[in-house]
Order: sequence, then C-alpha cells, then structure tokens
Amino acid sequence: MLPARTAPLLSGALFAAALYLVPVPFAGYPYVLFALTLTLCYAIPAMALNLLLGYTGLVSLGHMGFAGVGAYVTAVLMKHGIASFAPSIAAGTLAAGFVGALVGVPCLRLRSHFFIIVTLAVGMLLFLLFNNLDWLTGGAAGLPGIPRPRPLDLGFAVVDPRRPVGIYLLAATVFVLVFVIQYALVRSDFGRSLAAIRQDETLAASRGVDVFAHKLTIFAISAAIAGLGGGLQVVFLRAAAPQSFGLLEDINLVLIVIVGGAGSLFGPSLGALLFVALPEALRVADAFRMVLFGAALVALALFAPRGLWGLAAAAARKLRSDESAVARVGHS
Amino acid sequence: MPASGIRFAVTALLEQIVNGMMMGAIYVLVALGMVLIFGVMEVLNFAHGVLFMAGGYLCDVFVVHATGSYPLAVVLTMVTLAIVGMALERTVFRRLRVNLPMQIVASLGLILIAENGAVLLFGPSALQLSVPSVRSLVRVGELSFTVQHFIIVGATVVSIGALHVFLHHTRFGTALRATSQNAEAARVIGIDSASIYRITFAVACALAGLGGALLGPLFLISPQMGDLPLLKGLTAIVLGGMASIPGAIVGGFAIGIVEAVSTLFIATEYRDMVVFTVLIAILLMRPWGLFSVRVRGDA
Amino acid sequence: MSDILEVDSVSKSFGGVRAVDGASFRIGAPGIYGLIGPNGAGKTTLFDVICGRQFADSGSVRLAGVRIDRLRVHQRVRLGLARTFQECRVLEEETCLDNVLFAAQDKNLGREMIQTFGRSEAYRRTAMAEAERLLDLVNLGNLQAEPAGNLSYGQRRLLEIVSSLIVKPRLLLLDEPASGINPTLLNMLRDFLLRMFAERQIVVVIVEHNMEFIMSLASHILVMHQGRVLEEGPPAAVQTSQRVIDAYLG
Repeated sequence: MLPARTAPLLSGALFAAALYLVPVPFAGYPYVLFALTLTLCYAIPAMALNLLLGYTGLVSLGHMGFAGVGAYVTAVLMKHGIASFAPSIAAGTLAAGFVGALVGVPCLRLRSHFFIIVTLAVGMLLFLLFNNLDWLTGGAAGLPGIPRPRPLDLGFAVVDPRRPVGIYLLAATVFVLVFVIQYALVRSDFGRSLAAIRQDETLAASRGVDVFAHKLTIFAISAAIAGLGGGLQVVFLRAAAPQSFGLLEDINLVLIVIVGGAGSLFGPSLGALLFVALPEALRVADAFRMVLFGAALVALALFAPRGLWGLAAAAARKLRSDESAVARVGHS
Repeated sequence: MPASGIRFAVTALLEQIVNGMMMGAIYVLVALGMVLIFGVMEVLNFAHGVLFMAGGYLCDVFVVHATGSYPLAVVLTMVTLAIVGMALERTVFRRLRVNLPMQIVASLGLILIAENGAVLLFGPSALQLSVPSVRSLVRVGELSFTVQHFIIVGATVVSIGALHVFLHHTRFGTALRATSQNAEAARVIGIDSASIYRITFAVACALAGLGGALLGPLFLISPQMGDLPLLKGLTAIVLGGMASIPGAIVGGFAIGIVEAVSTLFIATEYRDMVVFTVLIAILLMRPWGLFSVRVRGDA
Repeated sequence: MSDILEVDSVSKSFGGVRAVDGASFRIGAPGIYGLIGPNGAGKTTLFDVICGRQFADSGSVRLAGVRIDRLRVHQRVRLGLARTFQECRVLEEETCLDNVLFAAQDKNLGREMIQTFGRSEAYRRTAMAEAERLLDLVNLGNLQAEPAGNLSYGQRRLLEIVSSLIVKPRLLLLDEPASGINPTLLNMLRDFLLRMFAERQIVVVIVEHNMEFIMSLASHILVMHQGRVLEEGPPAAVQTSQRVIDAYLG
C-alpha cells in the first residue's frame, strides 16, 4: 500500500529547509560552500542517470555526454551575451533532451549488451565533438570566462550568484526542482510502468505498456536533466572543459549512482556527497582516492548491488524484522 | 592526373594500409581476448583496455629493471598477465557471470583502480620505452616503417595461428569450444567449467598484455593508452559478431585499415570519430555482426 | 455479431521448420476452450502469434472483428487481449496487491504523464475492492502485502491469472497454467476459472498438456497436429476420435 501523502511532503519540506539553511553556519567558509555546490552540480546528472539505471534498468554509459550538450549550449549563449542565465540554461536543457530523444529513437530498440555499447560509443562521440570542434566549443582548452547570473532581488533579500552563498542557493534551488521532478516521476503510474519494464519487459508489454515509448520518454527526460546539471556546472565553475564530459567522468557518474544506491531517491545525492564533497574535505591525493573508489565499486558489484543506500535499507529492514521476532518470542 | 600525382596517391595509400594493418593487428589482439571471454563466459569485460595498458607498463618495467632483453620482457609480460587474468576471473568475474549490470560496474571499478594505480606508480606523464626494433627502419620503396610495425603484425599472426591450434587440435581447446557453445551440456559430459573459465581469462589477458607490450615502445606508455583500443576492440567484435573469432580478426584489421585510410580524406582529429560512427551504425543496422546469422529471439 | 477470435490460415516458420502451417479456427461464443496437441504441434507458437510475441508469416488474426496480426503486443492488450506465460511471469519486487493493481492501471503514456502532475489515485481506489476480492478467491488474501518473489510457484501462477482477469479481458489466453501445480491448487484453479466464467461470460483459451485438467474444465477442445487444427469438438468426442488418438501415438 502507498504511504500516506503527508509523511513524504513533511520530510521533503524539512530536507529542503535544511538545504537552504546550510549557508548560515558556513557563510564564512567559502571552501565548504564550494564543495557543497559542486556536489549539488553532480547530484543532478546523477539523479538523471538514476531514473534510467535505477528505475528503468537501462544502463547508459555515456550520460555525461548529454550533460556536456547542456553545458556547452549554456556556455556559448552566456559567454557571448546572447541570453541571460534562465533562457540559456533552459536552452541547454532542451537541447540535451532533444539530443537524447534523437539518440534514443534508434538505440533503445537494441538488446541489453548492444544498448550498453552504443551508449558508450555515443558518449565518446559527443566527447570527441566537444574536444575537436574548436570553432564552437573552444576545443581541448574549452570555454573560459562564463559570467555568473546577475543578482536577484527577492524583496526581503538579494541573492548574488557572483558570491559563494548566492551560487550555492541557486544550485540548491535547481537541485530541489530536480528532486521534486524525480519524486513525481517515480511515485506515479509512469514510475510504476518503468519499474515493471525494469523487472520484466515482456510482462510489462503483455500488461499493455508501450515499452519503447516509455523508454524513449524517460531517456529524453533523463538527458534533459543531465543537460540542466551540465549547464549549472559550467556556470558555477565559470568555464566549460571537454574533460568534464569524457570517459572517466561517465564512469564517475555511474560510480556515484551505483555506490550511492541506484533505484532510491536519495542514493544519487548520497553518492555525490561521498564522491565529490568528502574528497574535497579530506583532500586526499587524487589518484589514490580514485583507486579506493574503484575498489569500492568492485566490492559493491560483488557484495552489495543495491549500493550504500540499499545496504542501509536492508539493515533497517533486518533490524525491524529482528525486533518483531524478539517481540514475538517475548510473548509467552 | 600527372604520373607523379598518381604515384603520390598510391604511395600515400600504401603507407596508410601498412599502418592500418599494424594498428589493426593491435585491435585484433584486444578483440580476440574480449571475444574469447564473451563467447565462453558471456561476460563483457570492459576492463580489457587496462589489461592492455598494464602490458605496456609491465614490459617497460621488465626491460628497464629486470632483463635488458625486449623479447624476454614481452614473454614475461604475457605470463604475468595470464596469472593476473586467472586471479581476476576467480575473484571478480566468476561471480558476475549472469549479472550484466554488475559486470559493467566491476569492470569500471577495475578501470579506475588500474588507471589511477598507474598514475600513482609511474606518474601522470607518459613513459617512453626505446627498443632496437623501433629504432631500426625498413625501407619499402619510398616509404619507411619501423621493424616494430612488422613484428606487431607477425606476432599477431603467430598468435592467431597458436590460438587456432589450441582451440582445434588440443583436448582443452575442444573442451573450451564445447563450453562456449553450450555450457550446460559441456558440464553434463564432465567438462570442468571452472578450469575452462580460468584458462580462457588467462589466454585473453595474455593476448591483451602482448598488445600493450608491442604497442608501448612504438608510441607512448600512458595510463589512458588502453581506452581507445578497448573501444575499437569492442567495435571489432560487434562488427564480426560477438562470439566469432574469425569475425574479430577480420573486424580488427578492417577497423585498423579503414581508420588509417580515412586520415587521407579527413582531418586526423576526426579519425577516432569515424570508428565510433561506424560502431553506432553497425549496432543500429546489423547488431548481430557482419558474419553471424540472425538468431531467433534476437532484437 | 462477429466472432471473438478468428484465426485464418496462419503460418509461421523458424529457420526451415514450419511450426504453424495454415492453422484456422473460430471462437464465437463465450466459453472455456482447450487447445491441445502432441509436442511440436505448434500450440505455443500459435499462442505467441495471437498475442503478438511473434508475427505470422501469413494469414490473419481477428479479435472481435478487428485485425490484430500486425499490431504490437501492448496494442492488442488494449483491445482486450490478456495472456499468461508458460514460464509464469509476475513482478517479483512488487506486492501481490500491487501486481494486480498494476494490471488494472491505465498505461496510456499521455494519461500517465498527466497523472504524474495531477497525482490522482482514483483508479487504484476503485480497483482495490475487486483486487482484494479476487485475491481472496484464490487464497492469496492474507499474502496481499507480500512481494510476489516470495510466493511459491503455484501461488505465483494464481497471482498471474488473477492479474490478467482484473482488466476484464475479452479474450484470455492461458499457456499451460496447470504445469508444476499440485492437485489441491489445481482444483482451486479449476473452481476459480469456472466461477470467473460464470460471473463474466469471458472467452478463455487454454493450452494444456494435463488432460484430466483440461477435459474437466473446457466445454470445447481444439486439437492441433503438425501446425494445424486437426479436429475440434466437445471433450468426449475429441477423446474418442481415432484421428486424435493416432496423432498422439503416431
């Protein structure tokens, strides 16, 4: 049975509130805000990939390519002053979604092994385009000098994205928006159809689900959200670079989603926190950190396919069933 | 067209064909390993590229620190990688045979460990290994190639021959082919699948290591040197049919040659894109490969 | 009024093998129909062609007068066709109740997207009562909240059949429902199907090898042999037909 409507709304509101209150204690620590803002930027494409991988069962290995499409469209529009922040990032999101749909139409009818390989190839192709189309994307050097959005006057306060607190709040708002979208999609009839597709495509079709149309829809939505994350990231970092959207970043994203917990609402955010914020905090040497992460991935694949969030959920379930078992025994 | 123009074009074409054969041979070595693992175990091993890279580094270590002899170092590299392959099979891939998403995840983890491990051990910049066969040149008409070019092609041909003999004229090889066709039936008649899987991985990883050891001295040895060969090897096996050895061989050489010849017509930086576009096109039109027959139940 | 199901000269080959070879039959009246035949007769292939898992090489299939043989699986389902699988498929991670409710869900993509924003759960409330009633009828009422993956094989079969029935299909195709089921559950299944037929006057076609089960349940039997319909009639007539006996023994 579905949980009551109020409980998720309440915890969601609390979570959002906590997110917005973070700058209060950390206002004087720009480095902490930097780490957290970067985490939010990665959490968005992670949630996008989670919709595909965790909820629909589609393994897309080139997803940062779509983030790159959104990033570069946003970057070009803003750098050359063609449009302000909101229309630029909207254009980036739509462009990424459009490319996603374009890729999805031919590729989604492929079976699992082939689909995975083709997404990898598409991701590589997109990276090569970012890296080599010098006249448009700046090539390997990328596009530096992207302006931050102008300050926003809310009446009771002014939010200045040119400063750490301002850009953090902007990122937090986009994050909350994406989280709400993720929640709405997953906890809906559409989400139930996706779950059915993940568990058994043949069965889903025999219950009336148009499997291809559903896959294409979620693939395009997922690409668009990734594009949104990419656009936010380049505005935050003030620059777009192709390395941010290459093979290692694709792997990193899969890492974040799988280790955090694919198929859960908070898993991707937890993964982003673990793989972006924590390393920034610990300042462990780059390569060493990645070796540990690689080991974590392998260990997870072998022992905990549902990721850390899944481990926590399983532990919680076990605790509850143990408690009730004890309670039953206790009654004599 | 003036005679000198034609001669120039032909020379350029020949040069690229030889280059293409050489790179194609490298892709074949990678593809053979992947096709063996996929055909016998139905495992898609994305970590094959880093095994290739490990071959490059190990060979360098063996030449510089152990023996001065390059051929001996190559052999030692193959042996080491065979052992590594068996260890990987036992610890990681055996458990994941039926779980495709987790195979991917584990492979990605191995890529992270290996590429970053290489950075930690050898530093982020590339190494250069100088060996006699790269220093000496062979003249073919107006073109010159290194001896290494021909060693690579030769070694690949020898490997293909050895593999053929192994698979078709030894008991173990026959057992391996039986397992790849029908694992259940093979088990029923008493074939020990555990040792089959172990040997498959050993052979596949040795071939990958050979590729890295051969290519390393010719270009540079870097942590990312396996990334593109992985993807091109993958393209080769898709092209040839996921479980077909002849397909992998033809596919690997075809990709090498097409890639090299394409640089005559388009800018070099777009060369890699050619291969990926080809891969995507094949997957969309004939995913079962150019040499396989479409099987009932396929998409 | 047109026949519920009309199969007209359907043929299907795999490689060189003609699995179905010009099979034809019609079903006009509601009832429980059995489709039997020796191994290799083409029963499951014919099923797959009717449902859309395979496309026929030639011939046509009509559901209530509408030609469906070129439609995709989900389109046929929306026209009122439902099927179960020989290998028994349920959504393992979902509860029994959710399995049944999912079958009742409106899966039109546009309406689903609207529901994502409108968040209406009305259909679930209306379907809930019927879902619980059907689950009770097959003794799965107390396992409503249990993930389907935890059920025994026989229980999963019953769940699969209940899920197929909640949408009140025009035509229900059951692929070897009795295989792997113990006699007690088999009796429950028989009673349940008879009761559903009495309530709704549906058309059920059952592929079966279990002769005792199908003969005691069906009002009309179709016998397939070598890819086509050899004979049809009431169970008694079919069981004593010399041609049918020869087909099974030959």
